[in-house]
Amino acid sequence: MVHILGVLLRDNSFVKIALTRFYGIGYPTAERICARFQIHDRCKIKSLTPSQITSLASFLASPSTTPLMPILPLASPDYEPPKSTPPTPQMLKRDEVSERRKRDPLVGLKIETELRRQIRENIAHHRMIGSYVGRRHAMGMPVRGQNTRNNAQNARKFNKIERRG
Amino acid sequence: MRPSLIARTRSSWKGPYFVAFPNLREALQNNLPIQTQARACTILPSFVGIRFMVHNGKSYLPVTVTQDMVGHKLGEFAPTRKRFTYK
Repeated sequence: MVHILGVLLRDNSFVKIALTRFYGIGYPTAERICARFQIHDRCKIKSLTPSQITSLASFLASPSTTPLMPILPLASPDYEPPKSTPPTPQMLKRDEVSERRKRDPLVGLKIETELRRQIRENIAHHRMIGSYVGRRHAMGMPVRGQNTRNNAQNARKFNKIERRG
Repeated sequence: MRPSLIARTRSSWKGPYFVAFPNLREALQNNLPIQTQARACTILPSFVGIRFMVHNGKSYLPVTVTQDMVGHKLGEFAPTRKRFTYK
């Protein structure tokens, strides 16, 4: 049992599955996060080391400010490793860092309350300018032209100005 | 609204779809409404403050463009459906 940001992750579940317990993380994002922290595919929560757990927690607390991983140089096919020295990470120049941040899909990651707030703000924006989308949210009706003769149950459940979930 | 939402539906090299209104400056100075049927026209930053009369299929509805509306379409602000009522 591990608590990260108030979310309970069960011991016996795979890490890449358990991460989807967070609101805003699906399977593709979970796999990306696992790759970022070099957690292997079949790794379970109970076999995570404490340092891995703290690094995961600090990443999920603020994805945009987490420092980037160093780039380890790739070996050429005919490379023969020297006997004792470990590979040295390349130092990144400042513009390279900003370039990588721009391309990094995990930098703009928003989860849990931050994501919920963003969704509420987007709906409030539409409501405030009085567009069709905002109007449909206020009515609790489908927004993107779905049929309303039957069903439309998800829209009735979710489409509110103060949307939950 | 995120700009990528717009860019995903239309190739970005084309730029936004808009209709050139020849009486734009005149309308801004004299506060005259522009009557239009171009509902698909994207609201550009130069439209801010102008009153439009947007066609909804039956009549022309007044729409005053504010700063927040930039990037949306004119038609989003003129609903085309009538609310259902029992006769």
